[in-house]
Amino acid sequence: MSSYLPCGTYHESYRDEQKWWRTPFIKGKMGLMVILALSLPLLVRLDWVGGEWLSVAYTMNYYILAALGVQLLIGYCGQITLGHAAFVAVGAYCSTYMVLFIPWPAFMVDYGLAYPLSIVCAGILAGLWSVLFGLPSARVKGFYLIMTTMAAQWITVPLVITQYVSQIGGRGVALSIPPGTIKVGPWVIDPSNDEGIYLFSLVLVALCLLAMGNIARSKLGRAWVAIRDNDIAAETMGVNIVSYKLLAFFVAGFFAGIAGAFYISALSFVSPEHYEWFYSLLWVGIILIGGVGSIQGLVFGSAFVVLVFKLLEMGVLGLSSGLMDSYPELGWVTTKIIFFKESAFGLAIIFFLIYEPNGLAYRYWQLKNYFNLWPFSYTGKGA
Amino acid sequence: MIKRIILLSLGFVLLCTPVFAQGMIKVGSINDLTGATSDVGKDMALGIRECVAYINEHGGINGKKLQLLLYDYGYRVPEAITIYKRFRDYDKIAMLSQWGTGDTEALSPTINKDQMVALSDSFSGHLCDPKKTPYNFVYGTDYSTNARAALTVWYEEVWKKSDKWKQARESGQKPKLVCFYMFASPYASAPIKAIKDQAAILGMEVGPDQDVSLVALDAKSQVLGAKKDNPAVIWHGNTTMSVATAVKDAYGLKLEADHIVNNWGFDQNLVRMTGKAGEGVIGAAACAFYGMDVPMMKEVVEYTKKINPNVPQEKRDIRTVQAWVKFGMIRDALAIADKKEAITAKPAGPRIKAAFETFKDWQPFGTKGALGRPPVTFTDTDHRPSAEAMLYTIKDGKIVLLQKIDMKAKFPDKWASWLGW
Repeated sequence: MSSYLPCGTYHESYRDEQKWWRTPFIKGKMGLMVILALSLPLLVRLDWVGGEWLSVAYTMNYYILAALGVQLLIGYCGQITLGHAAFVAVGAYCSTYMVLFIPWPAFMVDYGLAYPLSIVCAGILAGLWSVLFGLPSARVKGFYLIMTTMAAQWITVPLVITQYVSQIGGRGVALSIPPGTIKVGPWVIDPSNDEGIYLFSLVLVALCLLAMGNIARSKLGRAWVAIRDNDIAAETMGVNIVSYKLLAFFVAGFFAGIAGAFYISALSFVSPEHYEWFYSLLWVGIILIGGVGSIQGLVFGSAFVVLVFKLLEMGVLGLSSGLMDSYPELGWVTTKIIFFKESAFGLAIIFFLIYEPNGLAYRYWQLKNYFNLWPFSYTGKGA
Repeated sequence: MIKRIILLSLGFVLLCTPVFAQGMIKVGSINDLTGATSDVGKDMALGIRECVAYINEHGGINGKKLQLLLYDYGYRVPEAITIYKRFRDYDKIAMLSQWGTGDTEALSPTINKDQMVALSDSFSGHLCDPKKTPYNFVYGTDYSTNARAALTVWYEEVWKKSDKWKQARESGQKPKLVCFYMFASPYASAPIKAIKDQAAILGMEVGPDQDVSLVALDAKSQVLGAKKDNPAVIWHGNTTMSVATAVKDAYGLKLEADHIVNNWGFDQNLVRMTGKAGEGVIGAAACAFYGMDVPMMKEVVEYTKKINPNVPQEKRDIRTVQAWVKFGMIRDALAIADKKEAITAKPAGPRIKAAFETFKDWQPFGTKGALGRPPVTFTDTDHRPSAEAMLYTIKDGKIVLLQKIDMKAKFPDKWASWLGW
């Protein structure tokens, strides 16, 4: 039986309970989200929204893709990682080199198949690279695992990629991708085409979140959650924790590789500078703000981080144009505010850890529950 | 409480609303105030604001005010991209002022498609070939020319003449070059190919490169690594803090080599931070150092005191002067383009580009010898600002001019082929 509001919906089997589309309301909600997401390019074309919001939106999508693996490892499997930018870098370089240096048959180039294929390969290579650094998770956990994942960052980016991989091609460390090289089917996806990058990022985010959602409700996902909650109990129940942990590292690395391969389309330029340790921290921060162990939390966290930076940018530039014209000697005010931008992210993490450790996803859950029962919600105040 | 929040929010929204003033020309500036190159970036941003105030108080751009939109991107390329798109779509800037090599090269395809002129603080030689990057301009002698010039001057003035290398020279030993820079940084690695080519031209040997972070606080292992190769000269490609660390460690570990430094690593801070270890270091510079006796320096100093009186004079550096050269160039290019047709009339990009390409022996603020900047010439086939490199050295704790070298005059047969290196 189904209803428009989840309240009053009773499931008669686990299969029903685990369905993607449990009620027509959920179908409608998801449909609305798809319409809203697809309407952004239209709003930009109509000049109702500035074109820069497309780049803000695809940066958010990039963060979702990159932090998805972090969410899987920390939120679902309980394995702490602080070196995820390394796997994103592996994906980016793999895809770039495949697109630039492999002598693709003409039809692969003409039909824009080379780049999509490179994305899959980037995911697999980043996944395998991630497994390599996940191996210590068989023996260590907690702080010790943090150290080994940090080693992934230092070994991969400054050593392997900077010293060896990025030297291929003779340009030095930075590699430009000529305009028109990155094609998906007949569409050229490069920085001159924000709309294309945004729509492409939407497709990748939808596919990856769908995959993650499906994995999370499968045997695999349940095993990861069991390991997260209590690895000894999970092993007692027959879960091979080493295999499942390594599988978690592979899938997390796979998503990171896809993120890296995607973002080269937005930059047309790849350099080890784009994968510094800051990003590994940022993506952990995103899931802390959004909510650990929640796919929705990942989306909320990415949106929060990108929008906070954007809002500060708007404030500072607003001050520049509004105040600075009349009082140039107050330039130091805007310069000082800029330093707040760097601390805003750290402050946000502290704020969430103290006041909302369950993240934005928990607030959303509370809001949803309130409206599920609205207007006859139970207040607990008695009759 | 709710009223207060609403009022504050309204105030913030009002502040965020762009001012659509008539007779204004907007320039967007992407700067690094908090990232890996903020050691040199902060002073630059101060100088930009002061120079814009000066321009506006002295007639602006053909009587129109120059409106500056300056924002920090923390040396993170993704942020530079979103800021540029905001500048382009929302603020409708006339042209862009950029900072790092990474963001300038990453945004190059986009600005060229948008026909948006970008003047960068990155003097990467890769940005100087108009066939590849027609809308990119730089205001200082490019890194590759600077690196070639510094090595040539060292070879001719130090290696061939100094007593320090007399024994090695007479024994027939070839001098060896080792490069210290952050491999992962497009800025630091940009002139590597050129300097190694120059070493080959001069008949020098080249030892293995040493990877030193832009934020390095210790470079002992790199110095010890280089010591094994017994280099005669080390080229430093990083910014000041990192270069100072390497120079001090080289001194402490008794590495006998001389040091030559790219322009972003050579300034008064290097003198302060290295002390005795810095004596004899040779560095390239885009213009005169702060406080030097050159035309227009008086105005620069006056505006530092007027606009940012809280920043002590002793903390001022060459970056302030560079900002004046940069925005002086922007002022003149915009004025030429605006004279033909108002900048606000679209599209202004091709006119501003054409205006830059009319620069012939240009000097800041129309004053001969202003700010010690060698004359700048751009053409539609060559965006290298100048073949002249200004090389300074640290002597008795002071920066003094060592030599001005014209690389085109010195290597006339090779100059054309070095475009885009």
